[in-house]
Amino acid sequence: MIEVLHLSILVTIVVSGFLTIWFRNLLSSVISLAVLSLFISLEFFYMQAPDVAIAEAGIGAGLSTAIYIIALRACGRKQFRKEGER
Amino acid sequence: MNPLSVVARTVCNLFAWFLAVFGIYVIVHGHLTPGGGFQGGAVVATFMAFLLVAHGGRKMQSWVRKELFTLMECVGLTIFISAGLLGMSNTFFFNFLAKAGGLFGSTVPLGPNPGALNTSGTIALMNLSVGLEVVGGLSMILLYMFSGVHPEEPFGREETGHDR
Amino acid sequence: MKARILFLVSILVVGGLLWSGLQAVHPFGEPNSAPMDEYFIANAQSEAAANNVVTSIVFDYRGFDTLGEGAVLFTAVISVAALFRKRGQH
Repeated sequence: MIEVLHLSILVTIVVSGFLTIWFRNLLSSVISLAVLSLFISLEFFYMQAPDVAIAEAGIGAGLSTAIYIIALRACGRKQFRKEGER
Repeated sequence: MNPLSVVARTVCNLFAWFLAVFGIYVIVHGHLTPGGGFQGGAVVATFMAFLLVAHGGRKMQSWVRKELFTLMECVGLTIFISAGLLGMSNTFFFNFLAKAGGLFGSTVPLGPNPGALNTSGTIALMNLSVGLEVVGGLSMILLYMFSGVHPEEPFGREETGHDR
Repeated sequence: MKARILFLVSILVVGGLLWSGLQAVHPFGEPNSAPMDEYFIANAQSEAAANNVVTSIVFDYRGFDTLGEGAVLFTAVISVAALFRKRGQH
């Protein structure tokens, strides 16, 4: 049971990390990065490092998301593709 | 940034205080439970980010001033360095308050035990000062970035739904 | 084309190094133990009088490290303030 839980945490980390670079909407990308930080902090907690887990949840999922959103408000939300770029 | 809708502001007003209380708990109990000055300071700074996103910049600027956070950061660093320098008769960062009686000076029984709040000497003092410094520094980064990216946006408009 | 070949070669090199390093890793839950760890676990409660051994290492045994961390944060705040301040504001 606990292995299934651990494995699902790891799979969620990989999937949200992939979605972070896959999304074209930058706001969705930032929220996916916050989900990545949250699950990394769960993984730290599972690895018995609660100090690092609190730091990761506070800084990664809270503060850096707010800072990214403030920066997105300044420079627009869409990432445009160049001509001929895949 | 304009304030969010009434729903978002009400939820923020209700739940942001739990965040602040949890952060202060993590700072004060740094020598007993997991966490410490840096982690608790980050949580309290997340509380500031919550208020800033939900209520907008103009209201936030009427509540707090940047000079307050500058003062917090400088006082925190000064207390930290002077607590390190005061143990200089032995070594730098010597724990001169531990087991000396008085403030933070009780001894700790060996083995697993719940612990008491006035133990651990300069460690508790340094937790408090580092927490003060981290709260001031991270909040100042947020406020400066916020007031820097929107210098001439009119703040006085009505609420704007959810980030549209 | 050249960029893609470079990409594949770098992935192979980094993956090979990672794979060869992972061969000697300890099993999960049994970290490498050092004399310093056992000293801290045995003596931190009686020397630093703190129940939390991690905090007593961060703020007492390795306090100089935390001083550097505070200096880094202070530098970051100063650089953000210098970058984003308005004209005429100080």
